[in-house]
Amino acid sequence: MPRPPEPEELRARGRWPPPPGPRVAIVGSRRPSPYGEAVAERLAADLAAAGAGVVSGLALGVDAAAHEGALAAGGCTIAVLGTGVDVIYPRANADLAARILVSGGALVSQFADGTPPQRTNFPRRNWTIAALSDVVVVVEAAEGSGALITAEAALSLDREVMAVPGSVFSPLSVGCHQLLRDGAGLVQNARDVLALLGARQEVLDDPLRPPASLGVEAPRAGRDPLLKHLSDALPVEPGQLARKLEVPLPEIMARLTALELAGQVGRRGAGFVRLAPGGISGAGVG
Amino acid sequence: MPAAPEAFGVATRVRSVLLRGLDVLPIDVEVDIATGQPGFFMVGLAGGSVREARERVRSAVRNSDLPWPPQRARMTVNLAPAEARKDSGGLDLAIAVAICLGQAGAEGPADAAFLGELSLDGGVRHVDGVLVAARGLARRATRRLFVPAGDAAEAALVPGLEVVGCRTLREVTDHLLEGLPLPAHEGGASEVEETPTADDLSEVHGQGAARRALEIAAAGGHHLLMTGPPGSGKTMLARCLPGILPPLTRDEAIDLAQVRSVLGELEPGRPLSSRRPFRAPHHTISMAGLVGGGSGLARPGEVSRAHHGVLFLDELAEFDPGSLQALRQPLEEGRVSITRSGGSVSYPARFMLVGATNPCPCGWEGDAVKACRCTPAAVDAYQRALSGPLLDRIDLQVRVSRAPLEALSEEPTGESSSVVRERVATARLRQLARQGHLNAGLTRAELRRLTRIRPEARRALERWSSARGLTARGFQRAWRVARTIADLQGSEEILEEHVLEALGYRVADAAAA
Repeated sequence: MPRPPEPEELRARGRWPPPPGPRVAIVGSRRPSPYGEAVAERLAADLAAAGAGVVSGLALGVDAAAHEGALAAGGCTIAVLGTGVDVIYPRANADLAARILVSGGALVSQFADGTPPQRTNFPRRNWTIAALSDVVVVVEAAEGSGALITAEAALSLDREVMAVPGSVFSPLSVGCHQLLRDGAGLVQNARDVLALLGARQEVLDDPLRPPASLGVEAPRAGRDPLLKHLSDALPVEPGQLARKLEVPLPEIMARLTALELAGQVGRRGAGFVRLAPGGISGAGVG
Repeated sequence: MPAAPEAFGVATRVRSVLLRGLDVLPIDVEVDIATGQPGFFMVGLAGGSVREARERVRSAVRNSDLPWPPQRARMTVNLAPAEARKDSGGLDLAIAVAICLGQAGAEGPADAAFLGELSLDGGVRHVDGVLVAARGLARRATRRLFVPAGDAAEAALVPGLEVVGCRTLREVTDHLLEGLPLPAHEGGASEVEETPTADDLSEVHGQGAARRALEIAAAGGHHLLMTGPPGSGKTMLARCLPGILPPLTRDEAIDLAQVRSVLGELEPGRPLSSRRPFRAPHHTISMAGLVGGGSGLARPGEVSRAHHGVLFLDELAEFDPGSLQALRQPLEEGRVSITRSGGSVSYPARFMLVGATNPCPCGWEGDAVKACRCTPAAVDAYQRALSGPLLDRIDLQVRVSRAPLEALSEEPTGESSSVVRERVATARLRQLARQGHLNAGLTRAELRRLTRIRPEARRALERWSSARGLTARGFQRAWRVARTIADLQGSEEILEEHVLEALGYRVADAAAA
């Protein structure tokens, strides 16, 4: 979209202006895969722990995960709203918005108080997200996703654009891969972003921080071997598993449900995906 | 040709019948030919098609070379009981017979009834609902039934009734007045015909979970909802369902033939078919079309055409919410009662409901390849529109996906319908032996009393219930489905694996979590 007119003023709730330091926008799909959600949360936590402010749009999915990650790491996070600063949309994130304020973050908006959600306002809001940030990281974005507008805005505004790769099978990573092909920086972990921001060497070399804290998980004992055949981005259907493993479908279905009951897998369409193990707590970011 | 008798004053009574849904109202047709102001009068709340019978009957009698009362006679035809409105061409034959007998001074046969419409040349024409009429009359001490020749096979399905097929009016009067033979119909065509179904499960590519869900649904008589993107084969899967159900029993086939008889949709000469009906009305169907309706007396709708079979509603979310609400009664009671100006009728409607829906307005939510363009709020609203009372009665839900292209080029490897049908039939026999009906009809009390569940299986149900906020109804649905899975496996006890698998077919509860 063409560059919208600059907002006349920003209205804010919470701590404004924000504390000095670099700010990173983390944006992406409103319905990410468990993988995308985990990446957004972990990335935000690590960046916040390193002292960066995390900017996002308070939407469902990647946005919410980014805010949550920053809050969990005790960091500062800024939610840029597409509604009036006194209107929380979607309602499901009302609690998250309250916690952002309590933790010393801010809600900001370029729209007048009381502005309800309107389709045309969100793309303009995306430009503001880019304007407030030094780097925009796109976590998961399908073709035509709003997150790509934020990336485009970042380029127009001379901000850095980075993207997180995903499965080549996943429609949710098509936008990210396009960005990477067009020259966006590759993000595998928070260090990649921090390096671009010119963080001090000691932050990057922090021995307490695992070098690649994303996407690596310790194997757990006592797991159903079925988990080996599931991915965390690409849903696998019970029928496919039954055929591949030559196990009767009823048994596959029962075992998948047991795993679902244990919180280790989730449904996505007709298939199942592996869920990231228990949030970000204890991930060495405290 | 016999001359018209001069001795007027004999009232002749001939019996016919009027349909009231699947019930009948016997009608007495009385004819009085007397002197007086000349004319031909029809009394007894005759509707349009009966008033027109005057003209048809007059022509038919004359063109059959039968005498018509002289110009100076005053003829009154009375249709009793007088308070019931009559609107059916099926009374023609009885009226004509009564007139002819009346002129000959003969009594109407006491234990016989006449049903048929007349053509102007004296032929006897098809009428709808002969099977229903025959059943009702047999219960009311009628022993002989005269029906149009083409409908004789249909009437002959009713035991204890002598059915006479008539081609012309002349045949009937010659028989009654002159004693010429008119042979009773031989009940030859009353056998249930085996018809193979067109769609076979062996033609379905992949779809492991959906196939299994179909099998469970067929075995326990559970209603089923399939959710998946366009082109994922939901319709094909649904069409396979009749083929894995056991064929209709003779009683079931007659039940269904009655509905078809009322609608005039029976195949002439082969009234009984063992094939389970499969009805797939379009989502623009009116409520009257779906559950039954129309002016005067309601006619059966799609739910009754699907009696003992499958009612497939594609694009469930697109159906008029009022129509879907109207499905509640048949889903609960297996019948529909409809009241219209002409009275109240009740039709059987015990069907398996198979619904299909897209997961979201654009259809691609959850697809592995194509991205969904709907907002989360729109997806939510779409799925919520389906929830509520209807979804509450659907025990099984399954997500289907498009088969990957490489699978489409392979030969399908799944079992054929006949293999699955064997297992379904065995599981059904177990249920009938245990509780006299299918598992879908298990009440809460029956579940507790009749179906043993292992402690760890019950714990799994309870764990799911507390983690996912399963309602009491959802709990019972999962229990019923687990019972059917156990029956398919030949287990009298419900094991943990049965419960876990059953919970795998509860998409809505999972999504609500």
